[in-house]
Amino acid sequence: MNRLSDKRALPGKLSAPQIAILIFLPIAAAAVALCAGRMAISVSDVIKVFGNHLGFEFEVSKFTDSAVWNNRLPRIILSILVGGGLSVAGCAFQGVFANPLATPDTLGAASGSSFGAALAILCGFGLPGIQSLALFFGISAVAVTHLCSKGKGLSGTVLAGIMIGSLFSSLISLVKFVADTDSQLPAITYWLMGSLSSASYRSLIIGAPIIIISVLLLFLLRWRMNLLPLSDDEAKSSGTNIRVLRAVTVICASAITASCVSMCGQVGWVGLLVPHMCRMRFGNNYLSLIPSSICVGSTFMILVDTLARSATAAEIPVSIITAIIGAPFFIYLLKRSDFSA
Amino acid sequence: MSLTVENGSFFYLKESPILNNINFSADRGDIVAVLGKNGAGKTTLLKCITGLLKWKSGKSLLDDEDISKMPQRQRWSKIAYVPQAKNSLSTFTVEETVLLGRSSSLGIFSQPSKKDSDAVKNILNRLGISKISSKKCSRISGGELQMVLIAKALASEPDVLILDEPESNLDFRNQLIVLDTISKLASDGITCIFNTHYPAHALQRANKSLVFLSDGKTIFGETSKVVTEDVLENAFGVKAVIGNIETPSSVMKEVIPVSVSDMKPDGIKINEQQGFSLAVLAVICADNSSDVSINKLLHGCSHFLVGRMGMPYRDGGVYIINVIIDAPTDVIENLAFNLSILPGVSVKATYAKNIIERNDPNE
Repeated sequence: MNRLSDKRALPGKLSAPQIAILIFLPIAAAAVALCAGRMAISVSDVIKVFGNHLGFEFEVSKFTDSAVWNNRLPRIILSILVGGGLSVAGCAFQGVFANPLATPDTLGAASGSSFGAALAILCGFGLPGIQSLALFFGISAVAVTHLCSKGKGLSGTVLAGIMIGSLFSSLISLVKFVADTDSQLPAITYWLMGSLSSASYRSLIIGAPIIIISVLLLFLLRWRMNLLPLSDDEAKSSGTNIRVLRAVTVICASAITASCVSMCGQVGWVGLLVPHMCRMRFGNNYLSLIPSSICVGSTFMILVDTLARSATAAEIPVSIITAIIGAPFFIYLLKRSDFSA
Repeated sequence: MSLTVENGSFFYLKESPILNNINFSADRGDIVAVLGKNGAGKTTLLKCITGLLKWKSGKSLLDDEDISKMPQRQRWSKIAYVPQAKNSLSTFTVEETVLLGRSSSLGIFSQPSKKDSDAVKNILNRLGISKISSKKCSRISGGELQMVLIAKALASEPDVLILDEPESNLDFRNQLIVLDTISKLASDGITCIFNTHYPAHALQRANKSLVFLSDGKTIFGETSKVVTEDVLENAFGVKAVIGNIETPSSVMKEVIPVSVSDMKPDGIKINEQQGFSLAVLAVICADNSSDVSINKLLHGCSHFLVGRMGMPYRDGGVYIINVIIDAPTDVIENLAFNLSILPGVSVKATYAKNIIERNDPNE
């Protein structure tokens, strides 16, 4: 036993082989995703496309080049950001509210963003407009939740979040109700089901920095986040300003969520599923939970999105696939492990 | 490190004050027991001492430095607080939980290093819980959890340890383990302050006590002087008998509650001087860990000592001290009591049959 604890100098830290596998997973998934799809592209062609963009001269058809570089690559980047981001946001909310059922939408961020997006589609805005409005309403929803529940404690915040969330859900219904049934209503409905098909380098420029900065911040705070489930007195007596820590965590997680929804609509399940998969495998220590969630989340999202665009001629909304794959897999894990969250 | 509270008062509503003009002080290695009935304000007092709640007036001082003015990080590296045990950390292992106690010495973005995890291993060894270090906190017993929480508090290497009802809800054996740990920590130089529902624990462990009386006032002093039958009747509304139980190694105090009392004694009698006695204290120390405390105690009444002999008995692995003392009876009782609460120290007093009629040697 001593040998074992010496090998893992720090409890809760990932071991070197675990880190290697976790880094390998999204890379492997990305490689598969670049090749697979409605049009299968050979590995050598993919390498040639990358070579061309790095300044070499290879013989590749224009069509292949565009499929790999302008279509599949941005989608993969978006998948990594959304999958990793939503998973980390889920971990963070579960910690802040000391509740394993908390999801990135607990404070109304996702509902707010969805309303913003629906409103933008109703007004006939283009993609940048949709993105900005979604982001704005997502952050506003969390701010309103905060104002409503100031000084009412954590359960007060959760309750206010649920109220604000359902308020925005009704507003979405209102928007749908007044929308033009031929063009706008389907557009809004598809958006709400979530899809990464709108991914482009331009849309990434608006959304990606917010996700990257927030995830990075939470990654750096990962050990400190272990203090989140503690009672106020316990947390304070470990010399940490728990209010600031909670605020930073909530702001980062909400920004990630709003930003994800603004780019690809509501992608359900990932924020609940991936953190719990990682908890079962790597334990509840945020030191390992945050990095593993990023890697597993992005891998999961890449695979789901690849399936979404290649399974049938028409794209299947990702939310449907995350739930169809996720729910049985989650139950399988639940049955197998000694679950205690 | 000494901890002093000066004129501390606290209330949530001005009309109903909870803590009124509290004064007390504890030196390095002191054990202070806080006694009082349910709702008297014991937990509030502990939170005010540490600064988790702010005194409405008055202050707590740590070596003459106002605790409320100390930066958080510095404060919590000197004081550690063990709240009433509840399992909010059930998902972590014991080792992970204790490691969280190191956070006051770490930067906000930094992770604990090998040094930190070594410190944690030392603490787990010291408290005798290294066997359960990789178990989840949800899978250990209440007694083990209390030890883990103490270990977590010790991880910041504090000078003052404040414990809120550390032995509540524990069985016979685990109560003893927790109390022994407190005695041990105090003899290592950590000042311990703990709330308790058991007057007997104050009488068996604490050299000083603070008691909440029924009128909201408090009294503070040497345990043998302030935890008396009168005070218990006033504080708890219970007629109780304090008796001595003699074991082969020492004489221990025990409290038996006899009946509920509605009478409030008019005044509190602090044990008064009862004339002089001559006594021989026979002391056997299991090791030399309590040397400093013993010397300090003996030094405190050096002008009453008639003779003193100390010798190591190597074959037996013990140290033997004999003290002949001619002093007011309460001084002798207090000395014997304070020696008996030190870990590993056996002590008994033999009194001369006749109280010697003569003047105070100081005069």
